[in-house]
Amino acid sequence: MQGNGTKIGFIVAFLAMSIYYLWPTVANTLEQNYIQDLPEAERTEYREENAQRLQNLREESLSLGLDLQGGMHVTLEVGTAQLVRELAGEYADTTLSNVIETAQQRALQNDTDFINEMVQVFEEQNPNGRLSRYYRSEAENITRRSTNEEILAYLQSQRDSAVDRAMEIIRTRVDRYGVTEPAIFVQGNNRVVVELPGVANKERIRSLLKGTARLEFRLVAEPDQISTARQQIVGYYNRQVASDTSDSVQQSSGQNNPLAEVLSTQTRSGYAFGYTTGRDTARVNELLQKPEVQELIPRNMTLMWGASPFQTTQQGQELFELIGVRPQVEMTGEVIEEASVNFDQATNQPRVSMNMNSEGARRWSRITGANIGKPIAIVLDGYVYSYPNVESKIANGRSSISGLESQAEAQDLVNILLSGALPAPLEIIEERTVGATLGEASIQAGFYSTLIGLVIVAIFMIIYYRAGGGIADLALLLNIIFILGILAAFKATLTLPGIAGIVLTIGMAVDANVLIFDRIREEQRTGKTLRAAIEGGYANAMSAIVDANVTTFFVGIILYSFGVGPIKGFAVTLMAGIVASLFSAIVITRVVVDYLTRERSAELSFG
Amino acid sequence: MRWFETPDFNFLKAHKIAYVVSGILLVASIIGIVTKGLQYGIDFKGGKEFVLEFEQPVEVLDIRSELTGPLGGAPEVKLFGSPSDVLIRTDDPGNITEVQNTITQAMAQLYPDNSADVIKTDIVGPRFAEDLKAGALNAIIFALIVIFIYILIRFKDWTFSAGAVAALFHDVMIVLGIFTIFGDLAPFSMQIDQAIIAAFLTIVGYSLNDTVVVFDRIRENSTLFKTMEHDEMVNKSLNDTLSRTVITSITTLFVVTVLFIFGGEVLKGFSFALMLGVVIGTYSSLFVASSTVVELQRRRQNA
Repeated sequence: MQGNGTKIGFIVAFLAMSIYYLWPTVANTLEQNYIQDLPEAERTEYREENAQRLQNLREESLSLGLDLQGGMHVTLEVGTAQLVRELAGEYADTTLSNVIETAQQRALQNDTDFINEMVQVFEEQNPNGRLSRYYRSEAENITRRSTNEEILAYLQSQRDSAVDRAMEIIRTRVDRYGVTEPAIFVQGNNRVVVELPGVANKERIRSLLKGTARLEFRLVAEPDQISTARQQIVGYYNRQVASDTSDSVQQSSGQNNPLAEVLSTQTRSGYAFGYTTGRDTARVNELLQKPEVQELIPRNMTLMWGASPFQTTQQGQELFELIGVRPQVEMTGEVIEEASVNFDQATNQPRVSMNMNSEGARRWSRITGANIGKPIAIVLDGYVYSYPNVESKIANGRSSISGLESQAEAQDLVNILLSGALPAPLEIIEERTVGATLGEASIQAGFYSTLIGLVIVAIFMIIYYRAGGGIADLALLLNIIFILGILAAFKATLTLPGIAGIVLTIGMAVDANVLIFDRIREEQRTGKTLRAAIEGGYANAMSAIVDANVTTFFVGIILYSFGVGPIKGFAVTLMAGIVASLFSAIVITRVVVDYLTRERSAELSFG
Repeated sequence: MRWFETPDFNFLKAHKIAYVVSGILLVASIIGIVTKGLQYGIDFKGGKEFVLEFEQPVEVLDIRSELTGPLGGAPEVKLFGSPSDVLIRTDDPGNITEVQNTITQAMAQLYPDNSADVIKTDIVGPRFAEDLKAGALNAIIFALIVIFIYILIRFKDWTFSAGAVAALFHDVMIVLGIFTIFGDLAPFSMQIDQAIIAAFLTIVGYSLNDTVVVFDRIRENSTLFKTMEHDEMVNKSLNDTLSRTVITSITTLFVVTVLFIFGGEVLKGFSFALMLGVVIGTYSSLFVASSTVVELQRRRQNA
């Protein structure tokens, strides 16, 4: 019995550990039920009094995946190409743009790293050229003589720090928004994954995550310039229509100017180029993108859309203005030191008030002083929020952003402005949300599947293997506790595929016992005594059990390394299941079988 | 209770029939996959998918025609587990929020008295979908290589590796073929997504489990019964392990069927793949893996 003493020790230790790690989960569930039963009035009080303890319990609990508790999973990609272009700054030329474009395509096609591709493309196109001519920087110790390898390392480190900064900024924003237990981490070399449990307002989160919050103050174009450009562009499309209709006789009737069809030019102010409905803005952009049309727009004018509708028609259509502003940026949002939400006393609309630092205040004073009586456009991420007239020189470094749709939008904008500007644009490349009700339904489905699967397998084992089956069932029950214990100990997340993994394990966990029991039966058929048959059964089944489980474990590892999100959860439970079921099938059943046959001399039936 | 107490089936004799059956299934699967193409789900195809939960049952065809205009093309519309839940998939390249608003507005117009909640959304960009596809392919290839090497090390004979990998390839191809050919007929999604890949790898693991147990017995018997004909010995090993093969298949089939019935709509395709995989995997370990090994060994001896 000495060998079994050690085994029993292991079983007790394993079980105690599982219970230790699972205890917070059980306690947390009990607490939540208790809180649910409290009268409404006492709930908040109880929560506040026990805040620390409850939070600890929650953190120590086996956490549920977003597919079970509901929430939002977003993968963002840092725009490496834009970052590389911006780093070149004033040195950028068409050669670099071409290189970046080709490298982007190649990286996409070959599924390779953009920066590596870029250096390679540059070397192919300019065998004697040096990338250092774009990235000279004393601070980074990069001179004209720096090799392309040095530039490669420099760009990669810039990319990495941009990703880290993006992650930090996102974390600040999410914290300010107020999500409990968000998970934010870097994936690969240019992606950031954000997991937000229980998030319902997706639109706000999207703009919060992506918002680069590039705030610019720009002068607007002269009204004369705007109207001249407008006349010329409308005229261009008139001529186009005329030549089209003369070409084809059939289309002679009803051909209208395509731009006039979507853009109204009866603007409320001289600074607006025209206006249209929200739906048609894309069409207007398309018409204005034509190279011939672009040439008609003066070099010192850029057309930008208003951020919010200036008017809503009786049919409920929202109208947006296209405003002519200067391409030069007078000042950016970096000078903003403080920002807060308040309400415009005249219109009662929410707005964001900003305070600039001393350098910003000095420049703001100069800019406003030089442009009294003229409007200054406040541009955020490429949209004009407002273009108020400067009434007098502003010396105290104050400004405000109006034209916001709601107080929530204003609040988010403050959040974004204060958390700092993202180093490079972010793009949402994957987004998955699960509603809380669907999550709850999944938990139920998973729970019932586990229960029903367990009962059916348990009954089958008893019918087929009698007492032996009963022992295997005991092992199976402990097995499930072990799996959950392992998951809790490794702080793994339980997902729906993860529960499926547990259910699957129930079916496969008995395999080791089936192998052993069948072997015992075989040994019995050769006329061995029960004890000898048991010895032989366990010994001979071992190599098959090990081989079969090791290979499945490999599959689990591979699934874990290649899968994402919920699939990783499946891989984890599969692996935990293999470890737990090996232990329970080999060690636990052995101890019980030995005890019954040796100590109690029971005639154990294997069916 | 005892099934297959001392079975004496001639598995190797049946292998000719098995080759015909497997051959037909494999060829049909490959033809199906080549002509129809793999039916990728959102993970590998990219796009935008929304699951709407209505208060009352709705008509899939009405929803599709109502959305065709606003979305600029017919979306995929399917029921999602119940007659009042629908899944809508579109390739509309527009902004996520706008597309979702377009859909909910169109639904409010179509069913003014039957309000809908968006209970699940999946948006996968084309580049991300490519990455996921590459990851899945790598996982499968990598798994097959690792298994080949492990069995080579454990059994010290490449014919066992080849037999196991052939059986795995056989299983995955046939399940893939069934998913491709009958995907449109099923009342649940049978598109290839990440969960299905996980199911495939599980099938690989499971089928391998069965195969390895048989191989292990062959290895053991080959030292015990040195005088026995090789074929006879392999056949005896298959019979020796038959009870275990069947019992484990039954318990596993029980649980995956439970998952299929009670596991909810999200797991339907996944658990269905597992059901097929357990059945085909059991068949292949009995009729494909060992007879491939015997065949390869015979050729090696003759060569």
